[in-house]
Amino acid sequence: MLIDANHLALTLDGNTILKDVSLHMKKGDIYGLLGPNGAGKSTTIALLLGLYSPDKGQLQRFSEQDTDIVAIRQRIGVMPEFAGFYEWMSAREYLVWYAGFYGGLQAQPDSLLERVGLSRTGSKPIVQFSRGMKQRLALARSLVHAPELLILDEPTNGLDPRGRREIHDLLIELAKKEQVCILLCTHLLDDVERLCTRVGIIDDGRTVLEDDLEHLLRDSGKPRYRLHMTDTPEGHPLPPLVRLLERDDAWWTLEIDLHRGMTIGKIWEDLLNHGWSFDEIHIESNTLEARYLELTGTKKPVQQEKAA
Amino acid sequence: MNAFTLIAKKERRALLQNQRGLAWLLAYTGILSAFALLLISNRELSLLDNAQVVYMMAGTVTAAGALIAVIMGADAYAGERERGTLVPLLTAPISTGELLMGKAAGLASAWGIMYLLAIPYLWAVGAGGQNLGQAIFYLGLFGTPVVLGFGYLAMALSARSGSVMYSLMTSLIVLLFSASPLLIGPGLRNSAIGKVLDAVNPFSGALNTYDAVIIDSDPLMSQLGRLALVLIWLGLMFAVARLSARRPVFR
Repeated sequence: MLIDANHLALTLDGNTILKDVSLHMKKGDIYGLLGPNGAGKSTTIALLLGLYSPDKGQLQRFSEQDTDIVAIRQRIGVMPEFAGFYEWMSAREYLVWYAGFYGGLQAQPDSLLERVGLSRTGSKPIVQFSRGMKQRLALARSLVHAPELLILDEPTNGLDPRGRREIHDLLIELAKKEQVCILLCTHLLDDVERLCTRVGIIDDGRTVLEDDLEHLLRDSGKPRYRLHMTDTPEGHPLPPLVRLLERDDAWWTLEIDLHRGMTIGKIWEDLLNHGWSFDEIHIESNTLEARYLELTGTKKPVQQEKAA
Repeated sequence: MNAFTLIAKKERRALLQNQRGLAWLLAYTGILSAFALLLISNRELSLLDNAQVVYMMAGTVTAAGALIAVIMGADAYAGERERGTLVPLLTAPISTGELLMGKAAGLASAWGIMYLLAIPYLWAVGAGGQNLGQAIFYLGLFGTPVVLGFGYLAMALSARSGSVMYSLMTSLIVLLFSASPLLIGPGLRNSAIGKVLDAVNPFSGALNTYDAVIIDSDPLMSQLGRLALVLIWLGLMFAVARLSARRPVFR
């Protein structure tokens, strides 16, 4: 295990930022760290980098004790959300200078620039770079020392669709060929679905979900249907395999458990036989977005709203 | 090359290659040029003698140096944070101590450049006078700890505050307060409060020494108390900076 973080908690200046965060990553993983703004993602990253120490919980990086944070950072590459540079330097000069902290560049600066799609820009002052070019340069900066763990915060911000695709391909190559573990912090769920092998969702300082993406999408609950109800019998409960998730006037969102040999046709028949009637049915696909919204409280189940 | 050297080198280059750094040096030389012109014309009109002119020029260099050091110190952490360049430094395999030492060395080399730039001005206003050499020597001995002390104070505030504006304004208020005994006039300066301020204030310590050694030609031995004062100021401000920079605000 490259990162083994369990039940991390952190209070800063009297504010409890993290309550119970767990994170498990291994070599070659592309781990999508998701959560609403202010959920604690950046603070979790800061903990991994040793910028803070957890008040509670266990944090192990690279299967070593966290005594020498400088040595741990030698093995981590970071691309922060806001990419800042000394803009009076050229791209090549900057990379060579920054690599000095890691004992020098692992590759020629021009080949690194080429790898992130910035060929023939090495001698250009960074002040002349566009936002997208700075994003690419920030990625190059995070790769100067061939890190084992790469932490990327919104890496495709400001990139055009082609650039986004190129960065995706590079990340996949890094994870598959070089076994780099990548922690991807983003709000772009499409990117996560395309790239990630594992997903962690943080909400209000707690890990509310951590799973393999494939497993999550395969088993993330039951099929969902949005029905436009024309008649709903008072006091009559829904059939046992049907659960009401949300109600917006006549639009009802239902979760239906089909794991017991039932067919959807039989469910509709059962509903109609009990006096329920509806004139429209929409199927909601089982996306990461649906799961994310459910878990982060944007669309709370009806029962939770009542409890609150 | 170790992390300390890399940061110090970058800081020095930022002063000499970056437009912002060059603008600060231009402002510094602008202040010195204006004062030198004023002092030379006064000397030629025999309103001031040579020693007084050199003393005032040395004081101006110290004040302008402290001002630039405060601006640089305030920018050291907060400015980098605002421009998004602090996080890459804090996440690199360097200790906060190395980062501070690199920045402190950068500030020291900036003062070195300012000191060298000041010598022609001192020569211009004091050429032919007998105290020019002493002025250059004492500017180095007393001006250096005063200027760097103010720079480190600003650096300490910069590491712990969220903005350049806050650290700059606070440091400037301290600098202005330190210069207040000189601004309040000789009458108030001789009052009890004025005397206390004069005695504990590093800025006054340096200027009173310039007065004593350049105008009155006093020996160095008579200035040991003031030398201790400015060195304590430097040591104290560096310790404060070191403490603040242990856990800098990074976002």
